[in-house]
Amino acid sequence: MDIKVAIQAAPFSMAYAYDEVLSERTDIGAVVSFTGLVRDFNETPDVTGLTLEHYPGMTERTLEAIGEQAGQRWALNAVRIIHRVGHMQPGDAIVRVLVASAHRREAFEACDFIMDYLKTQAPFWKKEHSAQGEYWVAERHSDQQDVARWKNI
Amino acid sequence: MHLTHLNTRGEANMVDVGDKQETRREAVASGRIVMQPETLTLLSDGQLPKGDVLATARIAGIQAAKRTHELIPLCHALALSKVSVEFEIDVAQSCVHVTSLCRLNGRTGVEMEALTAVSVACLTLYDMCKAVDKNMRIDAIQLDSKQGGQRGNYQRLSEQAPIVTGEGSAGEVSVSERCPSPCVCVKFLAELRERVGESETFVGLDTLSSRDIRGLKATLAARDSRYNLLADQRTLCAINQVMANDDALVTDNDEVAFFPPVTGG
Repeated sequence: MDIKVAIQAAPFSMAYAYDEVLSERTDIGAVVSFTGLVRDFNETPDVTGLTLEHYPGMTERTLEAIGEQAGQRWALNAVRIIHRVGHMQPGDAIVRVLVASAHRREAFEACDFIMDYLKTQAPFWKKEHSAQGEYWVAERHSDQQDVARWKNI
Repeated sequence: MHLTHLNTRGEANMVDVGDKQETRREAVASGRIVMQPETLTLLSDGQLPKGDVLATARIAGIQAAKRTHELIPLCHALALSKVSVEFEIDVAQSCVHVTSLCRLNGRTGVEMEALTAVSVACLTLYDMCKAVDKNMRIDAIQLDSKQGGQRGNYQRLSEQAPIVTGEGSAGEVSVSERCPSPCVCVKFLAELRERVGESETFVGLDTLSSRDIRGLKATLAARDSRYNLLADQRTLCAINQVMANDDALVTDNDEVAFFPPVTGG
């Protein structure tokens, strides 16, 4: 299975990886993508921006491993994961996961699975900036519940 | 290099700026007032007895900038075109950051005005909060940048820690050369780095109480109480970028990273 992972400070396009994954092949029947954006409210009501830190090296390997796990659970043609680091503003895209497969169910589920694992395992940390100052974002219990769903299936 | 405010006999001297070209001048200064977390909460909630602290301090700073020439002996009176005073409440460092920008088209710089605005805004914050907190401290008042004038632009270099940790790229573990005898490189990431106050340290293998993560945590905690944070249940650990628990063994040249729960996506 074809997995590519990218970590970058620069913004990425909303069309990221779509044409590249589909070029010169006609066996793909479904493409599902998820895009995560910076919200202007989170732990405080007026988030003005955020800074994302990661652990270079471990981040890439973790994302590749998550993509490979998805490939073992479902029949997938391609997985693309791109994640931004550094400073971002509300409305900016932080992460995009794109999954291509022959049928839609695999692509939907694999995309959901990858995001659940990314949020609970990949070494990224968010610091939010707001009118009240800046603070590190706390982990969410609901993310742990989301990832636990896949362990019971 | 000479001091323009002294004449050849070393006496105070107001510089004649009559022949200088008028240029657009701008200066940004900043400072901070450190206080108890409880005081900061009262301040941000508007619960202090003297009322709206930040609005008052802002007006005080702007007024002060306009009167700088009355306070600083050899300063010229300037027709400022803009003065702004901004506040940022910093919960992590329990302080209020004060920043002032002053601008004009003129023959002399405006850094004294910006520094005066910050100083008086900080003094006003002190005055407004002193009923509940006498331990407040004003510090780090400094010029951040200035533009225009014959000596050109100035920009203070940022002293902030880099946002991205380490220099390693995919599949690569960066091993430091600063460690001649058998040792491990310990990294602290994200919030843990800020709370511990450093991004990495080295621990000799021979100094470990046991050659595993548990022993590394105990050895660090014995070295300095800051490292007690590592005992927190939430603190995660990776050896050579692979997740590890307290029983995992450490060997020479290992890179051990401690970090808080992840929050990406």
